[in-house]
Amino acid sequence: MRYLDHNATTPLDPRARDAVIAALTDPLLQGNPASTHGPGQRARAVVEQARRAVARALGAEPLEVTFTSGGTEADNLALLGAARALRAAGRPAGILTSPLEHPAVLAAARQLAREGHPLAFVAVDTRGRIEPDALIAALRGRDDLGVVSLAAANHVLGNAYDIPALVRATRETAPHALFHCDAVQAMGKLPIDFKAWDLDLLSVSSHKIYGPKGIGALVHRRRLTLQPILHGGAQERGRRAGTESVAAIAGFGVAARLAAEELSARRTHAVALVARLRSGLGDMPGVTLHGDPERSAGTTVSAGFAGCDGQLLAMCLDLAGFAVSSGAACSSGSPEPSPVLLALGLPVADARSALRISVGAGNTFEDVEALLAALPAAIARVRGALSDGDWRTVEP
Amino acid sequence: MRIVCAMSGGVDSSVAAALLVDAGHEVVGLTMRLYDASGHERQGRGGTCCSPAEIDQARDVCATLGIPHYTVDERERFTATVIDDFAREYAAGRTPNPCVRCNEHVKFGPLVARARALGAEALATGHYARSEDGGLLRAVDESKDQSYFLFAIGPALLPFVRFPLGTWRKDQVRERARALGLPNADTPDSQELCFVGGRDHGEVVEERARALGLAGDALGPGEVVDETGAVLGAHAGIHRVTIGQRRGLKIPGTTARYVLRVIPDKRQVVVGGAEALQTRALELRDFRRLAPLGAREVLRAAVQIRHRGRPAPATIELDAGIARVRFDEPVGAAAAGQAGVVYAVDRVLGGGWIDGVTG
Repeated sequence: MRYLDHNATTPLDPRARDAVIAALTDPLLQGNPASTHGPGQRARAVVEQARRAVARALGAEPLEVTFTSGGTEADNLALLGAARALRAAGRPAGILTSPLEHPAVLAAARQLAREGHPLAFVAVDTRGRIEPDALIAALRGRDDLGVVSLAAANHVLGNAYDIPALVRATRETAPHALFHCDAVQAMGKLPIDFKAWDLDLLSVSSHKIYGPKGIGALVHRRRLTLQPILHGGAQERGRRAGTESVAAIAGFGVAARLAAEELSARRTHAVALVARLRSGLGDMPGVTLHGDPERSAGTTVSAGFAGCDGQLLAMCLDLAGFAVSSGAACSSGSPEPSPVLLALGLPVADARSALRISVGAGNTFEDVEALLAALPAAIARVRGALSDGDWRTVEP
Repeated sequence: MRIVCAMSGGVDSSVAAALLVDAGHEVVGLTMRLYDASGHERQGRGGTCCSPAEIDQARDVCATLGIPHYTVDERERFTATVIDDFAREYAAGRTPNPCVRCNEHVKFGPLVARARALGAEALATGHYARSEDGGLLRAVDESKDQSYFLFAIGPALLPFVRFPLGTWRKDQVRERARALGLPNADTPDSQELCFVGGRDHGEVVEERARALGLAGDALGPGEVVDETGAVLGAHAGIHRVTIGQRRGLKIPGTTARYVLRVIPDKRQVVVGGAEALQTRALELRDFRRLAPLGAREVLRAAVQIRHRGRPAPATIELDAGIARVRFDEPVGAAAAGQAGVVYAVDRVLGGGWIDGVTG
């Protein structure tokens, strides 16, 4: 199986795996990090070492890092925690985001809207770009907005965004507003600097950077007030209740360190693979490349295949030994086309015809060439099957 | 050979897939999501990430068998071609057969297309029937035979279709499922329509008919009348009675009366004695041939007019898309909208929908 779906998840790096196994098996590391005694202290040391590694990889201070169960919880804690705290303080607590965001951000924003928080969206263009001017236009005159949430890299398109410029635009137009950046798809692909980017909140996830699943982090300014979304003990300085998953945190720490150390090598490798993919796909009739080729996280190609059903094409490729996605992983089995592609203004049929191919550190040119070689036959079969009379369309 | 097996999550399609795996085929499990199990599922993000338990079951079975499994969403097509038709037919005073419709519009055409797209050389299902030489035959286990439901898939697709359980008895299938350790080995057979799901059948019809703007006219309460038009009582809706029904009519009197037919325009249910329920002749519309039959031809065969009904000897006059059936002996309770399937012993020659009871 050639795995080309790294935006869904990445294989565990053996070095991160070793850290997980060590934390799970070392008899000296079996304590609760919250305990006062020696076993607790030793487990705590593992957590704090990982916290330092994650902080360093993101240009943040260790005290600014709160471990969560993953990117979804980090996004939820950022939006729900910040907006509810702002509202409790009697300050503007509306959300401004984009229609391209991950469901973890959009669903949290909609939950806040149900609770009465204003919700606004910044305009995006047909390539999924978000210009600082568009953000300024969306913020101007809106003194009810308290949190701006935009991703550093898009999960479907692979677009990268100029977050420092978008933060500056926010500071100039809405100085009171907090800026949250979902960097789940950016970490390990683009340099990230919490401090230099002047962020208030930043979400990351371990399993997108070759770390274990079930762990992530929210980076936040030290004195920022967040209302907890889990209620319990005082772990993570009261921001996230629940005994820390020591082994997952240990693996995440190693993965974060490697993501920073190996960033430029990984990026160079991925960009070359993606360039070959884009040119190969561009030569195929009926293939449209989505997203912004000028500013990209460098690992993802989103393409439409005219006359195809993306889901069926992805199944076809799976049976031929290629793991790719027909949209975001959690929409599989649903007929709804990717909301990201619809937000670009694509017709439903075009959005349904899309595949997302995302390369990673373990991929080779051979993987890419094999996929490009297998695609024409798969496309022809899907097109042929869907155009014959057996595939009766619904006539209401 | 690569074979796509349509998997419902039930024991039959699970064992069908297992038999194909044992025969050395490369089997791909495919489950269709046809309807929402309950209202709460649509909350949140459109119910995309959660799925009915049957889909989980099919996925588990495929994991046990070590074969790939995919889910495809056919809710839109199923609603448009099966559930809407179900409501429309009742509103028009007929008795629909949604299983035949589903096989015609959802289970075979689109699945065969998907199977071909996936590079498969056949589509298999867990139906009890046999497909041989491009023809359709009854299952060996006649008590489970489903050939009656399958005639509408038509002759073009049949050569691509396989029914691995056609030579199996249900108890053998269950035994096999237990041997394989399948979690659904002893799940009782469902007797109800899948999308009704424990709800009141009449309410399901009314709900969909309302959505289609049909309920107000046709499906309200009305009169129960005898064959002369004399009012004998009241009923809750023409879709809530069944042709041939005797009990539950709440008509005073001692003579047994049966539902003979409904008159949708007047919202009337007509009742009468057992002899009036007998039919000697009827017409099948949209008749499709599964055997080499001419456009115009008169043949002697047996016609089955309901699932589990006994096929009755008849003379059938084919006239393009119409088949005029004259039974040797009268048959009981023929209902417009049900399927009439023509058999030569255990081979399906063709079938259509009962249109008018002509005598």
